Amino acid sequence: MPAVSALEAQEWLIEKIAHRLGTEQAEVAPEMYFDEMDLDSTEALILAGEIESWLGFELSTTTLWYHPTIKDLAAHIAEESDRRAATA
Amino acid sequence: MRRPRSVEQPVVHRHRTAAPGRHTVYLVHPGALDASVHRGLAEALPAGVGLTVLDLGGLPEYWQAALTGGHAATTIDALASRLLTAVQVAHIEGDYVLAGWSFGGVVAHAMAGLPARHGRPTRLVLLDSIAPVEDYKHDDDALEPSLLLGWFTMYLGAKRGRPLHLGAERLAGLGVDDGLKLVLEAAVAAEVLLPSTSLPGLRKLYDTYVDGLLRNNRLTNPHQPLPAPVPVVLVKAERSLIPEDRTLGWEPLAPHGLEVHTCPGDHYTMLTRADAASVVASLLDAA
Repeated sequence: MPAVSALEAQEWLIEKIAHRLGTEQAEVAPEMYFDEMDLDSTEALILAGEIESWLGFELSTTTLWYHPTIKDLAAHIAEESDRRAATA
Repeated sequence: MRRPRSVEQPVVHRHRTAAPGRHTVYLVHPGALDASVHRGLAEALPAGVGLTVLDLGGLPEYWQAALTGGHAATTIDALASRLLTAVQVAHIEGDYVLAGWSFGGVVAHAMAGLPARHGRPTRLVLLDSIAPVEDYKHDDDALEPSLLLGWFTMYLGAKRGRPLHLGAERLAGLGVDDGLKLVLEAAVAAEVLLPSTSLPGLRKLYDTYVDGLLRNNRLTNPHQPLPAPVPVVLVKAERSLIPEDRTLGWEPLAPHGLEVHTCPGDHYTMLTRADAASVVASLLDAA
């Protein structure tokens, strides 16, 4: 898979989270904390598994804790994706 | 980079303060479900009896191990010692009962044997805990996927407050991938998971759940338990983790007596059902 940009990752996350929360994508702000979203630990782990399946590589389970907003996580995904593309 | 506010969890959750002259129950909770799950029990306790939950999830050396492959750099005795210190800080006066659910019961049992400034508990109440005895010490690979998948199914249902059960016969002989397909189907049908939930998403949840079990298994294997210095009461769930063993292995560790009772529900829903809370509360009454 080619490297994923932060914007692509952000859009993907917003789409998935809006679906899980049953809300409009416009209602999900990139700056929101995951723990403010009514996204419980079960949903957060399922989302983490779906991110890994989309990216094709594993993220540490603690990633969502250390990158606690959509924006932070998207930036981390882009950085990690770039690093892997460069070394592939 | 900011850290999420929910990372740091308290160890001590005082659900109800004991009235003068009444005892306090200190209940060790090992995570998996939120510590607030014991609120129902607090409400069911007789008037004046206090309930404080000691959440192992508040100890980073314990909870982080479930997120990093299931290896905890601690021991059961060290966890017991940490929690006993928390009890010494929280305890006001009077008698107390030690209790623990699941792996929390193993830690509560270790606490009961430690010298405490405020004296020993009057009894030890174990909620569907498996004793840390040789019969129940296993290598990681001895934990069969079909057994783990059955436990995971119970856990998923309890997380969502909906009944979810897959009979052992449906999971027998299945590997994790095939078993998870059945779990996903059943969970979506029971509205426990969204219909759009994917197998990779469920797999991540399952792997993290199993890492939590492996962490507890690896902590239990080297642990050398001493006999409990107080009477022990075991409350088994009707659909216990090990239905075929009446005492879950506790007999040799309870020289001052072992009472066994059963309550409605499975290993997880025994914490959320009002009828189970009523059985457990009655056993926590007599200090």
